Amino acid sequence: MVKYVLRRLLGMIPMLFLVSVVVFFLAKAMPGDSLRGEIDPTNTNPEYIAEMQEKLGYNDPVYVQYWNWVTSFVQGDFGKSTRYKMPVSDLLLEKIPNTVFLALTALIITYILAFAMGMYSGRKPYTIGDNLIAGFNYTGLAIPSFVAGVFAVYFFAFKLHWFPFAGSVDIEVQNGTIDYWMSRIHHVMLPAFILGLFSTASYTQFLRNDLIENSRKDFVRTARAKGTPIGKIYNVHILRNSIIPLVTFLGFDIASLMSGAVITEKIFSYPGIGLLFLDSVNNRDYPTVMAITMMLSALVLVGNLIADILYGVVDPRIRLG
Amino acid sequence: MTTNAATGPAKNREKSLSPWAIARRKFMKNKLAMISTAFLFIVIILSLLAPTLAPHLSPIPDVAKVNISKMNIAPNGDHLLGTDKSGRDVLTRLLYGGRISLLVGASATALVIFIGTLVGSIAGFFGGAVDSMLMRFTDFVLNFPFLVFVIVLNTILFGIVDGLWVLIGVIGFLSWGGVARIVRSKVLAEKENEYVLAAISIGCSPAKVIVKHLLPNVMSTIIVQATLLFASLIIAESGLSYLGFGVPQEIPSWGNMLAYANEPDVLQGKPWMWMPPALAITLTILSINFIGEGLKDALNPKSLR
Repeated sequence: MVKYVLRRLLGMIPMLFLVSVVVFFLAKAMPGDSLRGEIDPTNTNPEYIAEMQEKLGYNDPVYVQYWNWVTSFVQGDFGKSTRYKMPVSDLLLEKIPNTVFLALTALIITYILAFAMGMYSGRKPYTIGDNLIAGFNYTGLAIPSFVAGVFAVYFFAFKLHWFPFAGSVDIEVQNGTIDYWMSRIHHVMLPAFILGLFSTASYTQFLRNDLIENSRKDFVRTARAKGTPIGKIYNVHILRNSIIPLVTFLGFDIASLMSGAVITEKIFSYPGIGLLFLDSVNNRDYPTVMAITMMLSALVLVGNLIADILYGVVDPRIRLG
Repeated sequence: MTTNAATGPAKNREKSLSPWAIARRKFMKNKLAMISTAFLFIVIILSLLAPTLAPHLSPIPDVAKVNISKMNIAPNGDHLLGTDKSGRDVLTRLLYGGRISLLVGASATALVIFIGTLVGSIAGFFGGAVDSMLMRFTDFVLNFPFLVFVIVLNTILFGIVDGLWVLIGVIGFLSWGGVARIVRSKVLAEKENEYVLAAISIGCSPAKVIVKHLLPNVMSTIIVQATLLFASLIIAESGLSYLGFGVPQEIPSWGNMLAYANEPDVLQGKPWMWMPPALAITLTILSINFIGEGLKDALNPKSLR
C-alpha cells in the first residue's frame, strides 16, 4: 500500500510541473506584471516600467524567471495583489476558510440527502417514492447549477424568506458567539445545497442501483434464509458493500466542489475564493487570478490523487496491478 | 458494436433490417425521446427564423438598440414577455439568443468531437508509444479546472480575436479529453477484429483503415457522446455568459440574458427578464439529454426495448 501511494505521488509530479509551466506562460501572456504584482499598473511611465522590469528580473532568460517564480510560489509567496496592495497569500488565507466551510457543508448535505434518498429508493424500487426521487435526480443532473441557483434564490430567499440571499454572515453579530455561527450556517445552507446538487443526484442514483444489484446476490439470499431481519440485511450487509464505491467519489468531489464554488459563490455573493477570482479578473488584479488558477489546478491533481489512493484502499486489485 | 446486431439472433436476420434501421425503430418507440426531439426541433426552427418572426411578435424587433422610453415594462399585450432594463424586447432577445446559444453549443461540439475523435482514434489504432504519449497529453488537458482556465484564456485572448469564436475555440480545446478517451477505448476493442487485419493486409493505409473501417463502427458511441456534449457545452456557454466571461455583452445569448439575475432587484422583482432564458436553457438541456439517453438505448444492440 505504501508503495502504491508513493508511486501515485511520484506520478503526480510531472503533471504538477506541466500545469505550473502552463500557468506561468499564461501569466506572462497577461498584460502587466501578473507574476508578482510589484509594478504599479496606474503608472504608465515607460522608464518606470522598464526600471521595474529590470529590477524584478523580467529581462532574465525565461527558465530563470520560471525557476524564481516557482520557488517563491512553493514557499507561499504568491506575489502582491495590485488591487488590495497586500500579499496575495494573505488575501487567500482570508477567503479560503469561507470556501472550505461552503464545500464541507455541501459535502455533508450531499451525504445526508443521498443516503436517505438512495436507501429508500434502493429498498423500494419502482414505487411512487422511488419515481419521485428519480425525477428529482434527473432534474438535479440536467439543470445547470446557475439556473438552479437563481431559482433557489428567487423562491427560498425572496419569496419564502427562509434564507438570506447574499453574504456569508450578518454584519451585526459578534464574531465568535453562538449567534455568529448560527448566522453563518444559515447563510451557507442554500449555496451548499446548490453546490452539492449534482453530486447528491449522482450519489443517490449510484447508491440506488448498487443496492438493487447487491440485493440480488447470494449473500443476501443466505442472510434471508437464516432469518435475518430485512432491515438488518439492508442496513448492514448490503450497505457495507455499496458504500465502498461511493468512497472513491470523494477525491473527485474535492476538485469539483472547489471549481463549482466559482459559480455558486457568484450567485449567492458568498465571499470565498470563487468570488475573489471573478472580482480579480474584472478588476485586472492578475497576480491574484494566477495564484488562484495555480491553486485550483493543484487541487484538481490532489483530488485525483486522493481518488486514486481511495480506489487502492477499497480495491486491492488496483493497488497490485 | 454494430457487428453484433448483424450476426445476432436469427429472427433479426429474417427481417433483414440494417442496424441503423433497428436503432431508428427503437428510437421512434421511445416516447420521451420523440417528444424531446420535436421540442428541440421547434426551438431550433424558432431560433433560425428569429429575423422573420421577431417583427410579427413584438413591436421592437431590434436586439441591441436601447429604448429609454420602454424600460422595465412587465409582460403585456404589446410585449409578450416584457422589456429589459435597456428597453429591449425580451421575446425578441430570447429568439435571437437561442441562435447564439445553439450556435456556440453546436460549433464547440463539432470542434470537440473532431479533436477527440482524431486523438482517440490515432492513439487507439497505433498503440504503443504514440498511444501513451497522446493519452498523457489527454490526462494533462483533463486536469485543468475547466471554468477557471476558460476565463483566464478568454481574458488573454479577448480583443485579439473576435469574441464569439474565441469562446468556441477555448471551450473546444479544453473539453475534448473525455471524447478522446472513449473513442480510444472503443477503437482499441474494435481493431482486434479480423476485418481490420484483412484491411491492413491488403495494403490499406492507416488513415484509410481508421476512416473507412474503424470509425463507422465506433460511430454510434460518437453520436451519443456528441448529443450529451451538445447539452453540456450549451451549459458551458450560458454559465460563462452568466458570469460575464462568455459571449460578448452586446450579443444576446440565453446566458447573457440570465446574467440580469445578478442584480438583486431584477432577480426579486422583475422575473420576466430572467425566467424566460432560464426556462429556455433548462428545457433545451433536458430535451437534449432525453434524446441522448434515447439514442444510447437505441444504438445499444443489447438493450431489449
